[in-house]
Amino acid sequence: MFCLSELEDTVRVPPDLLKLPLEVAIKKVLQKLFLDKVLSIGLCVSIYDIKSAEGGFVLPGDGAPTYKVVFIIVVFRPFVGEVIAARFKESDSNGLRLTLGFFEDIYVPAPLIPRPNRCEPDPCNRNQMRWVWIFEEQEYIIDDSYQINFRVENISYPPVPTERAEDGAIDDDGLGPVSWWEGCSERNNEDDDT
Amino acid sequence: MSGEEEENAAELKIGEEFLKAKCLMNCEVSLILEHKYEQLQQVSEDPMNQVSQVFEKSLQYVKRFSRYKNPDAVRQVREILSRHQLTEFELCVLGNLCPETAEEAVAMVPSLKVKGQIAIVMSCGLLRYDLVLLTFFFPSSLAL
Repeated sequence: MFCLSELEDTVRVPPDLLKLPLEVAIKKVLQKLFLDKVLSIGLCVSIYDIKSAEGGFVLPGDGAPTYKVVFIIVVFRPFVGEVIAARFKESDSNGLRLTLGFFEDIYVPAPLIPRPNRCEPDPCNRNQMRWVWIFEEQEYIIDDSYQINFRVENISYPPVPTERAEDGAIDDDGLGPVSWWEGCSERNNEDDDT
Repeated sequence: MSGEEEENAAELKIGEEFLKAKCLMNCEVSLILEHKYEQLQQVSEDPMNQVSQVFEKSLQYVKRFSRYKNPDAVRQVREILSRHQLTEFELCVLGNLCPETAEEAVAMVPSLKVKGQIAIVMSCGLLRYDLVLLTFFFPSSLAL
């Protein structure tokens, strides 16, 4: 989920930004340093607020002032066990891939897809396999028609800190495409964009 | 967050600092990011160029997955959910997924179970009642 997180950092403001109001200049530097980066606390989405900026000392040999800044950022951070709403992206014989738009590495491995199920070639897309859940003699295709709720099972961090992948499960109560659950039909996502 | 205890939100083991940290519902993030975007529109002719991919896609995501759009309704949702002795984390998951029955709520937030059956039924019943009331008073805030 999204969280607000307070951080403290030493920020060097390059001379070309000094014509701007201090808060704007510091925000620009923070944006460059933090936006779109995956930190230990999560994926940084936006700078929320600057609480304080102290210092402004210019170190010898440097043309730029340095500030000690306390600020708050908006991060996205999944938790193991959290249920998150996502969209279907693609599927193959190993399982499904889901997306949030800003984060696309969500994998639902085959064992975590509701059983009984079957995997068959997708008639609409020759290169893809699609998954079908069989429940009480009804067949439910897992595709991008509806929002899919999944539970975070595992979060893996690759050795080089650029991306992060999540494993999800949709084989439990309340999980999976929302159309499967009674009373959820009003939450169908029928928008045409991704 | 210490690595000693395994993280598991289902049992609310998600690190002390995150339980106290400000968790945000998607509808709250939507207001925050939209406000940032509007600020950019005031200073730049081409705000789309100024925002990162992550910002743009996050804004799309929270706009799509927010049940409430009206700022007053969003404030009310947090206020109503705060009456039910939930942690920040539980509050946000419920506010994001909007379960309509106690069973759905427990499926989405298993940690509600340990708070006692009566408490769950009470809180979810009240939740639904309150959220239904909210929908009644703020019909324009319903996501379509």
